[in-house]
Amino acid sequence: MKKVVMPLVIVAVLALIPYIGVEYAGLDYLFGVIMPYTAALVLLAGMLWRMIDWLRRPVPFNITSTCGQEQSLDWIRQDRIESPSKPWHAAVRVLSEVLLFRSLFRNNKAELRKGPDLVYGSHKWLWLAGLVFHWSLLLIVVRHARFFLATLPAPVAWIEHADSFLDVTVPALYMTDAIVLAAVSYLVIRRLLDAKVRIISLQTDFFPLFLITAIVLAGISMRYLTKVDIMSVKALGTGLAEFSLDAPGEIGALFYVHLFLVCSLMIYFPFSKLVHMGGIFISPTRTMLNNSRAKRHVNPWNAPVKFRTYAEYEDEYREKMKKAGIPVEKE
Amino acid sequence: MKPSGVLMITGGIVLVMILAVSMFSPGGGAETADRAAVAERDSTACIASKEYMRSHHMKLLDQWRHDAVREGDRIHETPDGRTFEKSLNTCLSCHSQNRFFCVMCHQYANVEPTCWNCHLLPTETKE
Ligand code: HEC
Ligand code: HEC
Ligand code: HEC
Repeated sequence: MKKVVMPLVIVAVLALIPYIGVEYAGLDYLFGVIMPYTAALVLLAGMLWRMIDWLRRPVPFNITSTCGQEQSLDWIRQDRIESPSKPWHAAVRVLSEVLLFRSLFRNNKAELRKGPDLVYGSHKWLWLAGLVFHWSLLLIVVRHARFFLATLPAPVAWIEHADSFLDVTVPALYMTDAIVLAAVSYLVIRRLLDAKVRIISLQTDFFPLFLITAIVLAGISMRYLTKVDIMSVKALGTGLAEFSLDAPGEIGALFYVHLFLVCSLMIYFPFSKLVHMGGIFISPTRTMLNNSRAKRHVNPWNAPVKFRTYAEYEDEYREKMKKAGIPVEKE
Repeated sequence: MKPSGVLMITGGIVLVMILAVSMFSPGGGAETADRAAVAERDSTACIASKEYMRSHHMKLLDQWRHDAVREGDRIHETPDGRTFEKSLNTCLSCHSQNRFFCVMCHQYANVEPTCWNCHLLPTETKE
């Protein structure tokens, strides 16, 4: 299928570019110094641009999505998180979304059984795989601080120790490495095996998954199998963190494959559905308060309308109304 | 449960335990290192090329540990015919001028090998 093969080919080509560039053309400097700075710049500027663009868009309606009792009379219990009426309610809701994937937890599946029976059931696997996938990636990214900082902040060291506490293999196995591989495999297989999901999956769904898989595989290979010279990697990393322009030392080509794929991901990030990393924090359906009855939400692009209230109307026609026998509010 | 049943089960467990322990008895015949041969050596070259050692020394050590502890094979022979005892102390015998040899690098790279939990850290030895 084209939509699966194309992303695979693209990732393979992306992996080959730095390999050939470093191995045969000696472009260490391009891939080790210029690319990372460029990618970081694109990521930063791109994300800023997307977020500012979104924040400046007017929100015409109060479109918060709710599924709980809104704030009402005192004796009716409000579902504060499902139907927030105070900013901190909404903050809790957004954070539980970000940290725990709360709404994905409600994910269920529909299956057509024998006969015309459509059966709905609970389906937590996507939630579980998605959650451990994202958390593992976060921990892995945080752990990489050891390549950029001369002294490791204590929390990063704790994460490293916790992650490698099994202490099997040399160097010690990080649990997140295994977990992220398992989770990403599930996410790919789910898109391939389930006909319903397969049909709605696009190239842009497969590409990030394949890209991240390739990055993870290159990283795992460097740590556990084909080693690279970590001393030079660290020198390069601390250099980059200090905005130095020094040329990198001798590092294996696999490292540049890893680095270039990461750079590709960083550049791809702001222009793809991966911006949901920033977008989730400012998504109006999640961040707005369900207080449309307590507080009027004005569409910012409404043209100014000249209103005439009933009181004004009555003031003008009171005498005539009285003559015609129409009841008036104010005598 | 009837007393005879309890007896049977206890007996079974003991039997399994004896069997299990006997499986782990030393295989015997693991030759001890010929220390004399190992002692006289040229200390100007590492066990493998410097580049290889820089990136792969932990692989080598892991292999050594497996060979020595699991297989009883305690002699490492390099392609150019030198022999070494497969032990952490071998590394330290050459790299003893600088007691911080291992530590310096690891501190720089923020790695903390757990080996020193049990093995003697070079910085712990007396001059
Ligand atoms: C026979 C003596 C000898 C033994 C035994 C030895 N080394 Fe070396 N090692 C050297 C020498 C000499 C060098 C420097 C090589 C050079 O500069 O070309 C070196 C270099 C190294 C380097 C690279 C250092 C650098 O600054 O790049 C590492 C890492 C290393 N050894 C680790 C080990 C480990 C681990 C062991 C034990 C498995 C070990 N060595 C055993 C002699 C030895
Ligand atoms: C040239 C610098 C250097 C020297 C010298 C050096 N190491 Fe290392 N060592 C490293 C680096 C870098 C790593 C981390 C590799 C990685 O993370 O993949 C490492 C990792 C290890 C590991 C694997 C631990 C882990 O969990 O990552 C062991 C074991 C180890 N070194 C033992 C030694 C011993 C023993 C010596 C001294 C004889 C020594 N090293 C000297 C740089 C060095
Ligand atoms: C839980 C404690 C413990 C840890 C941790 C440990 N070792 Fe050992 N190691 C031992 C013991 C005990 C022996 C002795 C076994 C013997 O000599 O038969 C040994 C033996 C070895 C040997 C065989 C030769 C010798 O006597 O030195 C090597 C090589 C070795 N360890 C390397 C390592 C390396 C490398 C690490 C870190 C990745 C490590 N060990 C971590 C306990 C440990």
